[in-house]
Amino acid sequence: MGYWDHVWLGIVAVFTANPVFEIFGLPIGTTLVMVAAGFALGIVVGATPGLAGPMAMAIALPILISIFGVRESALLPVLGFLIGIMKGATLGGAVPAILFNTPGTPDAMLTAYDGYPLAQRGLARKALKTAHFASASGDTFSDLVLFSSAPVLAIAVERFLDLPEKTGLIILSLSFIAALVGRSPAKGLISAGLGLLVAYVGKGEDFYPRLSFGQEALNDGFPIVTVVLGVLILGEAFKSMEALIRGGPEASTQAKIAEATDNRFGFAELRACWRYIRTSAVIGTAIGALPGIGSTLAATLGYAAGRRDWARRNPGKPGFGTGRIEGVAATEAANSAVSGANLIPVLSLGIPGNAAAVFLILAMESIGGFNPGPSVFKLHGGVTGEVANPELVVVFGIFAAMMLANLLNWSCGGLFMRWVGVLVHVPKQLLLPVVLLLTLTAIYVQLTSLTAIYMTLGFGLLGYVMRRLDMSVLPFVIAFILARNLEDTARQAFAATGGDALFLLHSPLALAFTLTAGLVVVLAIRRARMADHEPLDRGH
Amino acid sequence: MHTHTQRTGLPALVANLALVLVLGASAPALAEWKPAGPIKLIIAFTAGGGADTIARATAEEIENRKGWSILPEQVTGKGGLNAALALIKEPADGTAIAMVVSETLAYNNVAAGNPVELDQFTPLTTVAGFQMGIVAKAEKGWTSFADVIAAAQAGEVIRFGTMSAKLSDLSYLLGAANGVEFNTVQVRGGKGVLDGVQAGDLDLGFMAGLQTKGVAAGDLVNLATALSNPLVQTPDAPSMADFGVDFDADGYFMFIAPAGLSDEARSALTGAIIAAVSDTSTRAGGVIAKSFGGAQTIHGEALETMLLEQESSSEELLDAVSE
Amino acid sequence: MSKFDKGALFLGLAFLLFAILVVFVWVPLDTESGLLQKVRRRWLIGDALAPSVAGLMIAVGACAQIFEGVTGAQRRQCAGQHIPTPAGGLTSANLGFALCALLVLLASFQIMRWFGPAAVALLGEQFGIEASYRALRDTVPWKYLGYVAGGFVLILASVVAVERRLSLRALLLAILAPLVIAMLYDLPFDDLLLPPNGDL
Repeated sequence: MGYWDHVWLGIVAVFTANPVFEIFGLPIGTTLVMVAAGFALGIVVGATPGLAGPMAMAIALPILISIFGVRESALLPVLGFLIGIMKGATLGGAVPAILFNTPGTPDAMLTAYDGYPLAQRGLARKALKTAHFASASGDTFSDLVLFSSAPVLAIAVERFLDLPEKTGLIILSLSFIAALVGRSPAKGLISAGLGLLVAYVGKGEDFYPRLSFGQEALNDGFPIVTVVLGVLILGEAFKSMEALIRGGPEASTQAKIAEATDNRFGFAELRACWRYIRTSAVIGTAIGALPGIGSTLAATLGYAAGRRDWARRNPGKPGFGTGRIEGVAATEAANSAVSGANLIPVLSLGIPGNAAAVFLILAMESIGGFNPGPSVFKLHGGVTGEVANPELVVVFGIFAAMMLANLLNWSCGGLFMRWVGVLVHVPKQLLLPVVLLLTLTAIYVQLTSLTAIYMTLGFGLLGYVMRRLDMSVLPFVIAFILARNLEDTARQAFAATGGDALFLLHSPLALAFTLTAGLVVVLAIRRARMADHEPLDRGH
Repeated sequence: MHTHTQRTGLPALVANLALVLVLGASAPALAEWKPAGPIKLIIAFTAGGGADTIARATAEEIENRKGWSILPEQVTGKGGLNAALALIKEPADGTAIAMVVSETLAYNNVAAGNPVELDQFTPLTTVAGFQMGIVAKAEKGWTSFADVIAAAQAGEVIRFGTMSAKLSDLSYLLGAANGVEFNTVQVRGGKGVLDGVQAGDLDLGFMAGLQTKGVAAGDLVNLATALSNPLVQTPDAPSMADFGVDFDADGYFMFIAPAGLSDEARSALTGAIIAAVSDTSTRAGGVIAKSFGGAQTIHGEALETMLLEQESSSEELLDAVSE
Repeated sequence: MSKFDKGALFLGLAFLLFAILVVFVWVPLDTESGLLQKVRRRWLIGDALAPSVAGLMIAVGACAQIFEGVTGAQRRQCAGQHIPTPAGGLTSANLGFALCALLVLLASFQIMRWFGPAAVALLGEQFGIEASYRALRDTVPWKYLGYVAGGFVLILASVVAVERRLSLRALLLAILAPLVIAMLYDLPFDDLLLPPNGDL
């Protein structure tokens, strides 16, 4: 079967497979409904300070697996829902930043710089419309880049990379993530090293579960959900709880501001914003494609580029940060453009770039039947066969689900987003304990053992301590996920080369990957040392 | 030779009547066995894979047929030994069973230094057997394993993919018996071998049923059978014995319970599992028929004997490799 | 202001020590095969290599951290961004909070674990039930008892800790939320086990 047959099968799988109901005889597929539901939930979650896309994905995943089971037909509905959340939350994140100056995510912090002053002038709706347009544009652009480049990259990897080069590539991605994600490359390296170490507990080749201190509960290592949810979700929940206990309960009153008359986002506004959206979309996409460098940096760079450009073109006028829709547009286009491109390394290499991607990989691992990596892009063994490659169908199903989410975004996302803004906002101290119980229950339902809960609490504590030490948890989680792949590939490369201890240095490409990995780390540490001579441009 | 003499007339009637009476009278005493509570089903395979699907579908079907409640649970790792270790801690009253592979209690256990003993378990029944072949991409140009040996003897470096230590031993012996050395690369699961072979990272490898589609489409070739029997799909492929290796990679998915299970419970559970997997109109039976060419239900004494044989041949295999 | 950043330096030293312990003590003592092992007359990578690499990575990070501590790089970086100095951000008050939070959570889950069996043992006779909790773990209402009790404690304790008073709102939430979550999982799905019912 050819390429286009797979595309068609993927689209069919999303739109009509396992129909939930029919409209005028047209079957409406489960995945379609799930994408829409996820998107709506994502906007709500993104708009609720204290919740965020990855948190919602984490809680939803075990519930989804309970609903759909762990059979192959579960993949697209579950991934569709998670992708819906991912995209919806990106959009929804702008709402509290603009309306209340309480950005739910760090990416939306820069949206508040211009969005909140606009809201105070009664221009909240104009700011929200701008954010919606910019976000949807950046997102769509990023998805298109994903669709066209992921298959090409995967095929190149498959054709040119042998086992030693694949090992080198994973090392390079790891060093990238460790050195560039957080503020300090030193702490990033420690974080990633800890992630590797935790992943290697129990999971060796020998019968004795290594590093387990003889504890039987560790016979098969730490379950992936206990580590990921513990560090990412519980760690954050602990930190927020502490802030609440110290700072007292959250008040939920907001002053009403009279709306200004001109809240349109029309052609004039579009023309004003277009060049910033364009630049930011490209920046966001480029950053998203690199593993580990998340949407926060994309937003920062997009905003900074826009601010410079605006100041150069409009000397003397009040610039970004004083309530300019161009500022909102530059930030939102950049952070939204990250999500699509982030799936390039996920699908073609199996390497997650940010927390949202971590949960997509977690879903794929939990359900099974789809192992992200170059092999998913095969047209049945590279030879024309009668049967479709089910994994490639899933890839196109994912692409179709993303396009679907984009269509929803363009058509009703803006309306829904503005509507969510008027929802009552639940005090954090009531929300957090429920989220905590829900997360722990979800883990139990999947692993059916209280030991797993205690492990999760332990990793929650670790996540909390790391946050207090200003040590980014993302390198930890990504290294944890890549660890097995790294060890397996290295073992295989070593065996396949007949025990060549220097397999990383004997092919030019593997050597290049390895050297670059070292160089990235050295340069990042040097740059951190020079930080005072050349301060990072971070907006304000 | 026995010949059955047909009894006729009154004696026959009396005999039949007596049989009916005996059966009828004993029926209340033979009331069907029921578990004392929900049954815990320990699954030794990662969620979502083919084996996990079989386990869950079988459980579902038994619930439908018997009205028992079965609660599946994953205990993965160490070739099924983690699941076996978890099972022996459960009560032997039919409320805990596990699905593992026969290798768990044979090769994997022996190689790990016998963390469990065969007599700690009551084997119930196998449900499906592997279609284990030695497989390469068709474009390699090999048609039989003999071509692989010839290539290796001509000096070509050959990467041989396996998915367990036992198969790595077999690949080593296949080389040693023919005066060549393969670079044996052990990967995770049959899917890993298939992907490696297709990506060109591996030259050939063991596959236990995943090759079926590719072989049918002409992309892959079964170079030899790794079983003691011919492969269903490629019956003419040579066996490993043809290349001087007197071991096989026969293996089955099977259900086990802790030792000390009562005979009633054992036969009730065994019967329920066999009924569920043998019916190809159910999901469980369908999956097995599609991926493994139909259910294979070895049970009772036959299964116990087979496990003992596998255990001793595993010891021999480990000896042969360590020489 | 001295360039020297004590917090960052100590953090680096602590992790360096940890990495040394990992590579030279924990990994060698707690793995079966070495860095490399000979199997079937071939060298293969052993179980100790990957964790040693992880330890090495921590050590490299720790050295860089010490270096950043000596040069005070992290503090300067943060000063430029109006962010409180990060290293040494873990105070004893923080640890106290974490300890309390952990204790509350552990207590909730212990209650979750034992409430059901205790209820069956104490009240089972009055209801004419002879079976053990294990046999009842898939039966209403017994299977919900532990979960709802443990969840109640967890939520109530958290809300009260923040609001510093016991409100009706908190009580209602603590009763209703576990019930709703239990229903969310249990009603639609046949196979799922709420805590603690898989541990029996």
